[in-house]
Amino acid sequence: MDKGQRRKERIDRGIKVRTEGIYALSSLRELSYLSVPRLVLIIGLLALPLVMPSIYWQRVITITCIYALLALSFDFLAHFVGLVCLGGAFFVGTGGYLAAIANTTFGLPPWMTVPLAAVVGGSLCTVLLLPCLPLRGVYFAIVSLMYPLLLARVIEALDILGGTDGIMGIDSFANRWAEQYFLIGALLLLMFGVRRLVNTDLGLVLRGIKDNDQAIRASGMSVTFYKSIAVFIASVIGCLSGASLVHIYMWSGISQFALDFSILPIAATVIGGGGTLVGPVLGCLLLVPISELLRDFGTLRIVFYALIMVAFIIFRSEGIMVYGQRKYHQFERWTEV
Amino acid sequence: MLEATDLMVFYENMLALNNINIKCAEGQIVGVFGANSAGKSTLMYTLSGIMQDIQKKEEMAGGERITILGDVTYRGEDISRLKPSQRAKKGIVLCPERRRIFSESSVLENLKIGGYLASSAEARKTIRYVFEIFPALEKLKNRVGGFLSGGEQQMLAIGRALMAQPNLLLLDEPLLGLSPLMQAMLMRATREIRNEMKISIIVTEQYARPVIPIVDYAFILENGAAVMEGTREELMDNPDVRSAYFGVEESHA
Repeated sequence: MDKGQRRKERIDRGIKVRTEGIYALSSLRELSYLSVPRLVLIIGLLALPLVMPSIYWQRVITITCIYALLALSFDFLAHFVGLVCLGGAFFVGTGGYLAAIANTTFGLPPWMTVPLAAVVGGSLCTVLLLPCLPLRGVYFAIVSLMYPLLLARVIEALDILGGTDGIMGIDSFANRWAEQYFLIGALLLLMFGVRRLVNTDLGLVLRGIKDNDQAIRASGMSVTFYKSIAVFIASVIGCLSGASLVHIYMWSGISQFALDFSILPIAATVIGGGGTLVGPVLGCLLLVPISELLRDFGTLRIVFYALIMVAFIIFRSEGIMVYGQRKYHQFERWTEV
Repeated sequence: MLEATDLMVFYENMLALNNINIKCAEGQIVGVFGANSAGKSTLMYTLSGIMQDIQKKEEMAGGERITILGDVTYRGEDISRLKPSQRAKKGIVLCPERRRIFSESSVLENLKIGGYLASSAEARKTIRYVFEIFPALEKLKNRVGGFLSGGEQQMLAIGRALMAQPNLLLLDEPLLGLSPLMQAMLMRATREIRNEMKISIIVTEQYARPVIPIVDYAFILENGAAVMEGTREELMDNPDVRSAYFGVEESHA
């Protein structure tokens, strides 16, 4: 056309076009195109404890990892199964109390209590959530939000499991390196594991449930069965983080059912970019330290925090990771139409 | 009345509409025919402005970048940059593909929502008119939209669009999934609406046969480009068009 109209077009980078799915890489450049972003994340996370050795930052790093695990489990359920689960606190509390009981009553060491609490807690959460699985959308969200409140009040009212005082005298991890590297290792393994999982046949079915559960039923599969598998995976991740948390604080109390554990992972998912699995982890890597840095402002902390969130949702609602992936895989140029 | 010049729409790098020029004169029924993915719905979305909405949503979600180029003039005024709601106020009303009725509201409520732009006297008059051309709807007026049959839903969708007091009605695949009997009824009703309400109508469809009797002028889209246009008679006389869009076998004796 002679009007000289232009539009911006997005072109896949050459390497991306050739490497998508087919890994016949011929040069170092192509190898690094695929592996550098992953290596940056892995090495970056592994180096964190060495770069920031102070006791204060050590704690921030571990808490960040715990939130990142919760955000991972939220993103998995929300964007790959279609269950918006506000039960992060439910998983943390269940895992935490189980680890606490296993440690104080049965005297098991942390390296046994954490996996045990993860698996037993995961099964327990799945069984408790089973009646709610036919629910969708906001109904499931509300019900899953009720569970942590319910359990916290039960413990408080019946004065069991230490009541409002909680369970004290829990063993800590062997040393601070074990603590940090256990969490970072778990985070990396689970993150890449879940990413692998959503591309297997099972993941395909789960994504199908999110898109159209009637079609899945019509294909002869039990939606509830697959949903319960997904909830089990997510709650194992959540309970693992809860169990680690009690060993870090050496205390387990009803504050583990606090809403923070449900809400912050969602905020991190929004910022990081939902449906990418890495995005929520990055979101936590940003949000948790920011919220720590803002502590100097006292009560105003929440104000700044809220402003950052709102700005993000308005100006970058796609999320950091979605934006970043696009910039990495594609370049833009103006073309004449 | 409505004229679109050099309309181009890109979904990312895919060209959905390629240099389309179409126009619709006052009081005409214009048909737009084409197979799946020919660009019919894209054209309707672009004319009604919904495309801008889709464009914005995609941008927010980090999805595809949609580029819209070209001009749409309506009664001598450039409306290419107007939002869908502003276009509706000017009388360009879309009756979307797959009906999109409010499935949890009753028939009467659906019509009332459609009549948001009309004065209450106009709305009352139009509801009476809708029940007159679609008597089936009156019997169902308290039924919830989601429980209507496909044909009833389509009648309701057209009725709802009429409630907005259109000057130009855009019907996107109104015959989708309907029985031949229902198709013929709807097309008769469409012609009647044009005659009664003195409006212009653009109607898209894949299979031209039920629609062709009522159109004055028609365009044929293929892969986003308008490959042919003409009056009803001109298109009917063209053997290629006859076999491709009317299902009439030519005997090459």
